Amino acid sequence: MALTLETLERSGVQGDEPDWLRERRLSALASYERLPKPSRTDEEWRRTDVTGFDPAAFAHFEQELGHSTMSSSVPDGVIIGSLLDSAKDHQDLVRSHLFTLIDPNRDRFSALHGAFFTGGNLIYVPDGVTVDEPITGQHFSYENGTSVLPHTLIVAGRNARFNYIDEYISKKDDEDGYRSGSAEIFLGEGAEVGYVSLQKWGRNAWHFGDQRARLEKDSKLKLFNVTLGGRFSKTRVEASLVGQGSEAELKAIYLASGEQFFDFHTLQDHRVGNTRSDLLFKGALQDVARTVYAGLIRIEKGAARSDAYQANRNLVLSDHAKATSIPMLEIDNNDVRCTHGATVGPVDPISMFYLQSRGIPEATARRMIVQGFFGEVLERIPFEHARRLVETELEARLG
Amino acid sequence: MATVPKVDVGTDYKEKYGFFVPEEYVFKAKRGLNPDIVKEISWMKQEPEWMTKFRLRSLEIFRKKPMPNWGADLSVIDFENIFYYLKASDKQSKSWEDLPPDIKATYDRLGVPEAERKFLAGVSAQYESEVVYHSLQEELTKKGVIFTDTDSALRDHPELFKEYFGTVIPPADNKFSALNSAVWSGGSFIYVPKGVRVDIPLQAYFRINAENMGQFERTLIICDEGSFVHYIEGCTAPIYTTDSLHSAVVEIIVKKGARCRYTTIQNWSTNVFNLVTKRAMAYADATMEWVDGNLGSQITMKYPSVYLMEPGAKGDVLSVAFAGKGQHQDAGGKMIHVAPNTTSTITSKSISKAGGRTSYRGHIKIYPDAKNSKSFVKCDALLLDDESRSDTYPYNDVDAENVTLGHEATVSKVSDEQLFYLMSRGITRNEAETMIVNGFIEPFTKELPLEYAVELNRLIQLEMEGSVG
Repeated sequence: MALTLETLERSGVQGDEPDWLRERRLSALASYERLPKPSRTDEEWRRTDVTGFDPAAFAHFEQELGHSTMSSSVPDGVIIGSLLDSAKDHQDLVRSHLFTLIDPNRDRFSALHGAFFTGGNLIYVPDGVTVDEPITGQHFSYENGTSVLPHTLIVAGRNARFNYIDEYISKKDDEDGYRSGSAEIFLGEGAEVGYVSLQKWGRNAWHFGDQRARLEKDSKLKLFNVTLGGRFSKTRVEASLVGQGSEAELKAIYLASGEQFFDFHTLQDHRVGNTRSDLLFKGALQDVARTVYAGLIRIEKGAARSDAYQANRNLVLSDHAKATSIPMLEIDNNDVRCTHGATVGPVDPISMFYLQSRGIPEATARRMIVQGFFGEVLERIPFEHARRLVETELEARLG
Repeated sequence: MATVPKVDVGTDYKEKYGFFVPEEYVFKAKRGLNPDIVKEISWMKQEPEWMTKFRLRSLEIFRKKPMPNWGADLSVIDFENIFYYLKASDKQSKSWEDLPPDIKATYDRLGVPEAERKFLAGVSAQYESEVVYHSLQEELTKKGVIFTDTDSALRDHPELFKEYFGTVIPPADNKFSALNSAVWSGGSFIYVPKGVRVDIPLQAYFRINAENMGQFERTLIICDEGSFVHYIEGCTAPIYTTDSLHSAVVEIIVKKGARCRYTTIQNWSTNVFNLVTKRAMAYADATMEWVDGNLGSQITMKYPSVYLMEPGAKGDVLSVAFAGKGQHQDAGGKMIHVAPNTTSTITSKSISKAGGRTSYRGHIKIYPDAKNSKSFVKCDALLLDDESRSDTYPYNDVDAENVTLGHEATVSKVSDEQLFYLMSRGITRNEAETMIVNGFIEPFTKELPLEYAVELNRLIQLEMEGSVG
């Protein structure tokens, strides 16, 4: 069985959406049918095995109405709402941004998401507006064996300032299904956006996420990704620095246990000069979990005086967990500063000895070391609300 | 310029020094590649039947293997338009005057003696060093060390040869190792017996006969238990060749407690595609060190690797690449940890100038059994202008427990502060940049024998002035 036009029409994800959106879905569906399955000879998929994934097995789609909230009232001109509703109510805005940063033709899974995305949120903050309260978006899966494919569209006007968190939540911890969670983030000149994504789908789910940002002049993005759920999770985090003076901070933590497999692809694309990017992905692995990190810093020819940093640190807590780390650089300009690093290693025995010599039991000492390992990067979560959420979640999972 | 008096070679040359006299069998195969040509090469060399079969099987593999789809663009290579077996004496027929002026000028600037220059330029074999070679050979023979060219080794030491040949890099390893296995010729063969330390570095260049700089050279080095040898391949002066493809295979076996160091400074003329497979197997407590410099060629793809086969083995790669106009140096190293308690380091320094491109490409693979292994990779790149490019592609796969792996890389330009400091002391900009570059590659230079280090520094100076390539 395959996913077809009929599946799409019966899925109910479309509602009474406008024609242009329907056309975009159909074109993505055509790409899905045309594009080959990623093969192990394809560099991006060499270490990522999707042979066990059949999206058609999850042909029941849970429609996402979009749950986004703010505790206080929404300032004038700010739009916080369901993406599918906004496609009708704010046609021009959605039409000119949706799927312009994330390309549904990129591969089979991007196409699938483009064709079948089940809803999500639109966050629009106009020029010069600051939203003090953090905005939260929650995406739920209620049933086992379904598809839940939310999409977030964030448009920040000039000098707009706000923080937003996407939470991906499953009702049952051992849930199976097809999940995605993508975000397109547009930062206008001078905008400052904090974005956090907290992925805690069920332990048996297949997750594909694309987070892609475009930064205009002097804008600042602080992106923080937390990956905890799914048997399989592939996330791409990409920032295009297209305006001088823009800065992207891309941070992530992941905790993989049991038989989980996490894959991260990152891109720091410096299109113009005087731009900064700072990436740090830290992960801890337990049991027989596996993770792959592959990241690229690309400095284009004219992008002088760019400054880029990229680091991936893996703490391997068990004998059979496996971490692969591939930090890459492509530098086409000499007037730059680029540094990258990767480490994979066990818990430092000297630290363990120190803690145990103070009477701390082994298990507690290990947990303290893991907390310390994440602590450095948790501090960089751009706003308090999200930081608390993430800390609580980690606390629970580390036991 | 100093010239060394020529020694009359005489008719018993081969018996006395183990040399070929090239004129004995001047031969030039037809262009292209097919089983007949391969058979002909093998027949000309009077090889045993197993080698002929090995070559034919390798040719089969070569035909089946796809071209690598990563790294540099190799689609321009026309395999049908290459001479696969040229007796070096053919290359010697060129005269000094025929050499491109930039190569001649470089020799002048480097201060290479004329006789040596002619050898380097492939104009004539240099027999002057044979006196040195002769006394060296006596000493080596006393210790039981075998140091000869690979073709002679096949003939004179058939059992030893057959035991190790093709065991480190089988023909099916990659397309170019298959090509080399089919048409190889020349290269060095070294056997160091148990417990023997060879104190002076062995240089291909002591053993000069026409064949050692071939297109498809094949080197095999065996360090028996507890032995030590340092082998130096190539020279710092540019080697001019009309061959467009150089595809060597170097296999090294370092047995228990032995240590081997292999130093290369590659400076092919900038029309050459240099696609080389180099690999060593290091056994218990053995040490393998690759010191690899890449300055010449149009495209180089070369990743010396060490398979750490038994506990306590150690691998080390020290790599320097310099890419000028039109050059792409795709170099790096590979460390494959198979056994527990093994350690490896890779240090890479690359410099790009005038639109050149350097890529570091490396692979650290730690297999499940290789517990308690440690690996560290450090790559530094220097970009001298805004036309040039630098890439870093490190692949790190860890499958074992309790492994420590680190990777660090930086890309930068010559810092304005350093330049300002030097220029404020009356040093010209160019000199200052040269000093900074020489300082940058110092960790590499200090591992070279003195005469090579001096030449390398001079060569960098020339590259910096843009007078080479």
